[in-house]
Amino acid sequence: MSTGTRLGRRTFAAVLGAVTFAPERAFAFGEAGAFRARLLAAGKGRPDDARVAGTARWGSELVRRTSAPAHEEPETVAADRPAIFREPFAVWCGTEDVGALSLSEVSGLERFLRLGGTLVVDDSDPVSGAFGRSVRRELLRALPESPPVQLEATHVLFKTFYLLDRPYGRVLGPPRVEAIVRGRNAVVLFLAHDLLGALARRGEGWAYGAEPGGAEQREHAIRFAVNIAMYVLCSDYKDDVVHAPFLLQRRGRAR
Amino acid sequence: MPNLALAEGMTPVAVTLGALVLAVWVIAAALEVRRSERAGAAVLVSAVVAALCVAGAFFRPTRVKERGARLGPRVAVLVDQARRLRLPAEHGDRRSVALAAAAALGRRWAQAQVDVYGFGEQKLVPLSLARESTLGQLGEESDLTGALAELAAAPGERVRAVVVVSDGRFARPAESVDEAGLALAVGTLGVPVHTVRVTEQAPADASVREVSTVGAAVAHQPLVLHVTIGCAGGINCDEVPVVVRELRQGSSPAELARGTAHAGTGEATIDLEVTIERAGQRVIEVALEPQTGDRVPENDHRLLTLDVRRERVRLLHVAGRPTYDVRQLRLWLKANESIDLVAFFILRTNGDQPNVVDDTSELSLIPFPVDALFTQHLPTFDAVMLQDIDAVEYKLEPYLPALEAYVRSGGGLIMVGGPSAFAGGGYAGSPLERVLPVELPRGGEPYDLRGFVPRYTMAGRVAPVLGGVRQLFGEDLPLMEGSNTLGKPRPGSIVLWEHPERRVGDIAMPVLALGEMGDGRSIALGVDATHELGFGELAERTSGRAYGALWDGLLGWLMRDPRYEAGRVSLDGPCIAGEPASFELVPPPGATGELAFTIERLGVPAQTVFSRSLRSAGSSEHVDAGRLRAGGYSARMRLGAAPPTRLDFACEDGGRAYADSRPDPARLIRIARATGGKSVTPDELGELPLPPATEVMVERRASALLPPWVWALAAALTLGAHWLLRRRAGLA
Repeated sequence: MSTGTRLGRRTFAAVLGAVTFAPERAFAFGEAGAFRARLLAAGKGRPDDARVAGTARWGSELVRRTSAPAHEEPETVAADRPAIFREPFAVWCGTEDVGALSLSEVSGLERFLRLGGTLVVDDSDPVSGAFGRSVRRELLRALPESPPVQLEATHVLFKTFYLLDRPYGRVLGPPRVEAIVRGRNAVVLFLAHDLLGALARRGEGWAYGAEPGGAEQREHAIRFAVNIAMYVLCSDYKDDVVHAPFLLQRRGRAR
Repeated sequence: MPNLALAEGMTPVAVTLGALVLAVWVIAAALEVRRSERAGAAVLVSAVVAALCVAGAFFRPTRVKERGARLGPRVAVLVDQARRLRLPAEHGDRRSVALAAAAALGRRWAQAQVDVYGFGEQKLVPLSLARESTLGQLGEESDLTGALAELAAAPGERVRAVVVVSDGRFARPAESVDEAGLALAVGTLGVPVHTVRVTEQAPADASVREVSTVGAAVAHQPLVLHVTIGCAGGINCDEVPVVVRELRQGSSPAELARGTAHAGTGEATIDLEVTIERAGQRVIEVALEPQTGDRVPENDHRLLTLDVRRERVRLLHVAGRPTYDVRQLRLWLKANESIDLVAFFILRTNGDQPNVVDDTSELSLIPFPVDALFTQHLPTFDAVMLQDIDAVEYKLEPYLPALEAYVRSGGGLIMVGGPSAFAGGGYAGSPLERVLPVELPRGGEPYDLRGFVPRYTMAGRVAPVLGGVRQLFGEDLPLMEGSNTLGKPRPGSIVLWEHPERRVGDIAMPVLALGEMGDGRSIALGVDATHELGFGELAERTSGRAYGALWDGLLGWLMRDPRYEAGRVSLDGPCIAGEPASFELVPPPGATGELAFTIERLGVPAQTVFSRSLRSAGSSEHVDAGRLRAGGYSARMRLGAAPPTRLDFACEDGGRAYADSRPDPARLIRIARATGGKSVTPDELGELPLPPATEVMVERRASALLPPWVWALAAALTLGAHWLLRRRAGLA
């Protein structure tokens, strides 16, 4: 096999901590389609540096565990800037009420989602739930015809790479995920588990402890993050008929 | 003997009025004479004489001489001109016998008006037996009912009798029609229809009499062919092997089904189930094993062009790793209800560390079923999409010969770019490279990292494949992050996008190219960021519709969707071996330029049998391709640099007309009986009765009895005399 120059095929950058605001793109061949957990900036409040670093960790875990390519440098995109359309995935996290979004932000989010983008709404303080509630409120302005619904436990999200029985994060949170579904696809996932909190890094270590499950819960949270990335990249691939007999057998064995 | 005629040229009203006035005048004179004591017979006589002279002046009597003649009756001789008449008779072929009989009738009935016509499935055509050029065939079938109706509707002298010269195997009137129906079908003229039976003996022949299908042909679905085998003329067909094959371009015929017919000395129908994997026009051969003593070997096989439809396009999408490009393609494929998608994505490589104890209970991954996909199931797919997958790492190499054969036998292939596609995936020098529309470099960098915006070629600007994208974006295309290294386009391939900077030899490097390889088609797309047409800053301008437009075009062209073909090719009529075949070439509306038309014989070796270039003015052109041999063919039309349009078709030996070689003398006898005619063999022409001659007038001469001035003078004199006599008798 001719390998050629395969520099940067799967690992494109390992610069952690340096938050860039949608820089001019300069990818190499094969990078344009790589996964990136971009942070969405909209309304009030911004995530802490540890969670920002968590988005990079999300990419590196994906690269280490799967064949999917991913960008490992953090990037933040504003809802009202054209850069939001450069890639079809973004994660929006926070701890407090985001306030009323500007019209341009609502419009940007609406166009992003209608074009086929996927958004993860990750509540960093699910105990208060203020962030999650405010985002639901503001997203209803963008997609008034699509209220959130609960995803079934059999949803493809829980089998896109790992076989999981529920969502995980820094906190255990509710056993189900709510989502805005358009057509066949869940375009907005509402997480009340502080997923980025489980991935958050401070220096060489984890920024926050995972409660109550500790390391095992963090591992499950990482697996859930990988599954979300695979859902973004492959949509409902694991729901294809060819996979059904295998997955039924494995779920049975796991129980 | 001359006759007398009055008032020629006058209207009946004028004649009546004139006669009435004179009669009233004479009657009035008679009454006056009767009432008068002085008026005598002289007054009355003068009145009568004067009235006669006035009548002569008014009616101008003429002397008419006429001469008549007896003419021979008009007889129409209808000679069956269907292709079937080329089959053998007892002596020579049926057509020679029929023409000889028609000529003999002309000689025998020299005193009659004998008009000879040819009939088949088209209009009646006057035949001149002395001129071979007028004796062309008139189609597959004989429609006697239509011919007689046309004769009845023709202007001119009515025929007094019709003589039909044929073997009796008409399409109309049908064999099954009863006597009443037969009389209705052939009695339009109300005159006797005599018949001449050119042959009464079936030749020794085993044939494929009929092939019919139950329902429409749909790709990948079983189709039952009803095959009727018939044996006649002393051939016994107790066990006749029958085989069904599909003729393909650039490869040997593929056997689809086989069976045995037990026809004995009659007819047998067997059902053979076939599954055709490729949609479009497919040429199918149904053949029986030749039987000893068979005098008509041409009908031992039939060639059919089946228009195989697709219910859904069955696609295999294999991706080497999940990316946004894979995501976008999958979302588009899944959203398309007409696509039946089977997808396999490599989600984990051997080097990945998923951090699990038990793969099977913690991961949802299944092994890549490469063997089953590329051996057992491969023919069931309409197209295969290989997206950025490494043939070496994922052990595709052993299956590349099968993929090459799959494309050559009619499958579709799309290779989508990425670091592990084309040369980067180990495809350079592989069998699969041979069916790609571009060559692949054996050395150097397999891909280039520089970003670029692809550029449309001239062909790309006119190709319907990219019409949708151009309609949305014009010349604009999104920035692509690098490109695969592609080589020169293969002969006959078309480049639609090219690299603005990279070169292959003296030409720009292809980025998007289409090609026809054998029976199949393939597409090379040397970039991995077409998802930018569906999701990106540029895509947002059109709500992402350009991505669908691009893939609609690419997949549509791969599946021979007429919307993405550059024009249309069709046969002007059925193609019969040994007879001129002509084609209609229709370029896309408004397209002009050099139009190349070629015909290639299906099978191996590939053989071009006809080639012509012409200048298209944008309108349809008719091309006479000469006489083709029996077999399957693929005709291609290419306008300038646009992708070619293809038509697969079959040329048969005799075709449907030869399928049943038995004559039907009984039907000819029934036709004659139903119309009061007589049925004879060519040796018995003397027994046909000639209708009686018709009397016709050929000369008429008219001359005035007296010149008009004599009548006028006589009238004046007699009226004057009458007036004097009246005055003398004291009348007013």
